[in-house]
Parts: sequence; structure tokens; C-alpha cells
Amino acid sequence: MIQVQGLYKSFKNVKAVQGVSFQASNSQITGLLGPNGAGKTTTLRILYTVIQPDAGSALVDGYDTVKQSIEVQRCIGALPDSHGLYPRLTARENIRYYGRLHGLTGEKLEKQIDDLIQMLEMHDIENRRTEGFSSGERVKVAIARALVHDPQNVLLDEPTNGLDVMSTRSMRAFIHRLSERGKCVLFSSHIMQEVSALCDNIIIMSRGEVAASGTPQQILASTRQTNLEDAFVAAIGSEEGLLK
Amino acid sequence: MNAFTASMSRITAVFVKEFVDNLRDRRSLVSSMISTLIGPVLLVLMIVIIGRSFFKDMDAEALELPVIGSEYAPTLIQFLEQNGVTVKPAPSDAETAVRNGDVEVVLELTPEFGEEFKNGQSATVRLIIDSSRQSSLATIERLRNLLEGYNSMIGALRLTARGIDTSIINPLAIEQVDMATPETQVLIFLNMMPYFVIMVIFVGGMHVVIDATAGEKERGSLEPLLINPVKRSEFVLGKLLASIPYAMLAVFVNLLAFALAFNLVPLEDFIGFQLTINVFSLVKIFLLSLPMILLAGALQMIIATFTRSFKEAQSYVGFLPLIPALPGIGLAFLPVKPDLWTMLIPTFGQQILINQFMRSEPVSLANVLISSAVTLLLALILIWVAIRLFMQERIIFGSR
Repeated sequence: MIQVQGLYKSFKNVKAVQGVSFQASNSQITGLLGPNGAGKTTTLRILYTVIQPDAGSALVDGYDTVKQSIEVQRCIGALPDSHGLYPRLTARENIRYYGRLHGLTGEKLEKQIDDLIQMLEMHDIENRRTEGFSSGERVKVAIARALVHDPQNVLLDEPTNGLDVMSTRSMRAFIHRLSERGKCVLFSSHIMQEVSALCDNIIIMSRGEVAASGTPQQILASTRQTNLEDAFVAAIGSEEGLLK
Repeated sequence: MNAFTASMSRITAVFVKEFVDNLRDRRSLVSSMISTLIGPVLLVLMIVIIGRSFFKDMDAEALELPVIGSEYAPTLIQFLEQNGVTVKPAPSDAETAVRNGDVEVVLELTPEFGEEFKNGQSATVRLIIDSSRQSSLATIERLRNLLEGYNSMIGALRLTARGIDTSIINPLAIEQVDMATPETQVLIFLNMMPYFVIMVIFVGGMHVVIDATAGEKERGSLEPLLINPVKRSEFVLGKLLASIPYAMLAVFVNLLAFALAFNLVPLEDFIGFQLTINVFSLVKIFLLSLPMILLAGALQMIIATFTRSFKEAQSYVGFLPLIPALPGIGLAFLPVKPDLWTMLIPTFGQQILINQFMRSEPVSLANVLISSAVTLLLALILIWVAIRLFMQERIIFGSR
């Protein structure tokens, strides 16, 4: 469960996020949709604690991302914008490292890694060093290590970016399975079709603000459009950067 | 599990990962080990080359002297030959031969020599030399001494013939008592060894620190790493500690190489005596280097945290060994006594102490403790600074 209230964040002259508020519930997939530069990544970075907001607050399962960052980190699994792996470690070792950082050890950890390898269908690469992995394989390892502690809240920053059609399909299926397991999934995308196909809830962001939010039906109603694509354009005010 | 053991297990996780990861980086490991051998190899070469020019056994070796016009001064030639000089005919173009280094010195006598000598005037003898050629200076010096000897001998004879006491032209009787033994002269070069050890301390774990900081940034693995429930201080400590076994290994290899170089290379053949380093001294030097290893790691961490890529970090961190080098190189030529103030300067005090250990001189325990404590204290302060820096957003995203 994620609650964001009045977030502001600026970098030098750039006002990245200006008064963003929304909520993401358990067992639901919430999509952050918006063109590049809309503030999606900054919002997610504040949520996964690597940057601090200038004003406003973000709560994950009731923990404040600034004051209780360690507690927040324990109950989130995040795939950031950059998801570099350690090329001299195998896929399994990459995942195990994060598990150890979460305090997992021994059989419990190995069992958890086995489950993720199963779920992400990565048996063939598990014991290979990650040097030379394809981008699909990289994302799988990055997701597996982010979820090794079985977090309740999952934050994904453009998880399908750079993936081929097959990898994108399996990524979407994976996101579905997470929400079926009761997780709160929040992911960002600039691809409208993806968000409309997956999400229970959509937050449309533009220029650092929330332009519209709600279920797809609510968004249609509030923008007085009959299809989602027109609704997005109406909410954002231009077609720029939104369509694939 | 209480908070402390949980924290320790996270630091251990970071340490183990960085240690294993860097162990697999064979190329960096090999190049780091090779760089530890530079000091010992360079030092042995220097001792051999310079030692050889110092310690040519002068008296045993006959001086071959090309002479132009030896027939003009038979008594001088006779004097030279009596003093171990083998007189040879000079090459046809003596000046070119000296300039090219074919011969070290040529003695030229003129036809007027006999006439001037007989009349009691100063008879000219000319030495053709190249004073820029270091290796021939000893020969020139030796010939000059012989000629001076002949000069004063003849001068004394002439004065005596006129009934004058020879001491009248020698107001000073110079007696030189040279305390330098061949050992002490070569040991001047050994003064550079402490610096080579310090250099290895600053280079040995460098690639690990850079890989764990700037390397993480370059790979894009820092941001996801920091999402884990680990305190920044735990990251800094784990990463810093991972560099220490590598630096220790480098220092160990370095000291081993020095030991082998001095104890196995037959230096006796070149400098007339054998250098030895006591194994216990090496162990002590190794222990003395431990606080400096921590200091070097912390310093490297601070600098590497500011950089964005491996290459950038390498070029800045690479300058670090030059800082202790400045007093170190001075020390090679101006030996400093192990006074208290020197012990208060990290790495400088240790260079003096390493020198003492190496020479098996008595070392004051207080000096060892003071210099180690000061170094450790500075290292801890720098680790604290590194932790403070590691917490900043701009460090994570590489902007300035």
C-alpha cells in the first residue's frame, strides 16, 4: 500500500515533481503513465528512498520514506531506471547478494531464489556470469534480486523498456501474477497500450503534476472521451511523447 | 538477532561480495601484483649499476692509460708505471675517442716538456677528459692523484735541493678520516625502499576501492544497491574492508620480493658485500603498514566517491601515492632522525621506521605506537568523511 501526498522535488532549475498525490492499493496494479520528463522516475525514486522530497510525504505500508527509510526498504522491491548487474557474478550470485543484504541466509534464501528463477523462467542462465546477457535476461535478474525478500510493494520503473515482444509479454504476465498474489504493484510507462492493458488504476502524469487519475472508466468519464487514447491526450493536453 | 549482529552480517555480505567479485577480476589482480615488483627490481638495478661504478676495486685493477708523446717525459712515465699504470699509445684522434667514450682519459705530453722541466718551470701536461661521463670520473680522479703525487714529490726534491723545508709550501696537512664504508654508501639507495613499500600500500587495494565506488556508478548498479535496507556506513565499511586483503597481499608480495632480491641476487659480485634483510624485520614492516592500508583505503574511497567513472577515478586516485612520495624522496638523500614530530605525520614517520627496521637498528616502541595511533586516527576520521559523502544524493546520481 503506497500513499503519496503533495510531493515536490526540484533539481537546480528543473521542477521535476510539483504536488503529486496518489494512492496505490494492495492486489492492484497501478500505472504511472506520462511522457518522458513527466516526473515518473523522480516520483519512484522518492518512493524507493534514494532521493528525498523537498516537500510532501510518501508512505509505504505506513512508513515514511524519509524518516523510516530502512523500514520502507524492507517492504519494497524496486526495479530502478538503471539496473546494472555485476558482470563477474553469476545470475544466482547477483540475486543472492541482495538476499544477504536483506538478512536472508541459508536454505530459506536459496529456496526463495529457486522460486524466482522458476517464476521468471531463468533456469538456463542461473549459473552463468551476467556479462553478455541480453537486455531481457538482465531485466529478469534485476527483478529477481529486487524481489528476493518477497516484498509486499513492487515498484517498477519502465520495466519493459528495451525488451523485445516476447520478453515484454512475459514481463506483463509476471506483473499480473504479482498482483494476483496480493502485492501492491506500481509501475511507470510511457506506453499507453501497456498501461491500459495491465492496470486497475492509472495515474496520468504531465510536467511534474498528476493530470488525471482513477480507473480507466473514471478517466474516460472525467475527460468526457469515449476511448482511452483520446482521454490520455485530453488529460495531458498534447500527443507529444506519449504514443509509441 | 540483535541490531549489532544484523549490521555485522550486512557488512560481511558487502565484504564477501566485493572480495569475490574482485578476485575474479584477474586482469586487475595481476597488474596490481606486477606493480608491487617494480620497487624491488628498480632498487636492485640501481644498486648494481651505481654500486658498480662506486666500488670498482681501484688498486687491484691496472689503469690503462693512453699517452701522447710518452717519449718526452721518461721519468714521469716511469713514475706512473711504478704506480700501477700501463702506458699505451694513444688513439690517433684522442679527442674524438674521449668524446665517444672509447677511452676514459688521454694524457698528452708536449715536446717542450723536457725543456721546461729541466729549467724548473711548470711543465704542461694535458688531460683529455669528458667530465660529463660519470663512469670515467673515478679513473680521472685516480690519474689526477698520481700526477699530484708526482708534482709534490718533484717539488719537494727541488726545495730540498735549495735547502728549504718542504712544509713551507704545505701550510695545511690535510688528513681525511672517511667513516663511509662501502655498506653505508650503498645503503643510501636502500633509503628508497620505505617509499616503495608505501607506494604499494597506496596501489595494492586501489582497484577494489574504485570498482566498489566509481565502478558501481559506471555499471548503473549503485542505485539499485542503495534501495536495500543497508545503512550507508555499512556499505562504506564493507567495501573499504574488501580492499584491505588485496592491499595486504600486495604489501606481502612486495616485501617478499625485497627479501628475495636482497638475499638471493648475488649483489656481492657487484658491490663487494651481500645485503641481507632479516625476516623478522619484514614481519614488523608488514605490521607497521596495516594502519596505513586503512588510511589509503579511506582516502581512495573519498576521492573515488566524487568521480563518475572507473577511468576518472583511476586518474585521480593514481596521484595519491605521490603525496607520501614527496617527503619519502627527500628522506632518501637527507636522512631524518626519528624525532617525535616526524612520527606525528602519517606515512612519513613510518618511512623512517621502516628504514630503521630494514637496517636492524633499535626501534623505539613508543615511536611505533605513536605513528600507528596517529595514522589510525586519521584513517577513522577519513572513513567518517567517506560515510558522510556516500549519503549525498549527488554522489549517487553522479551530478555535481
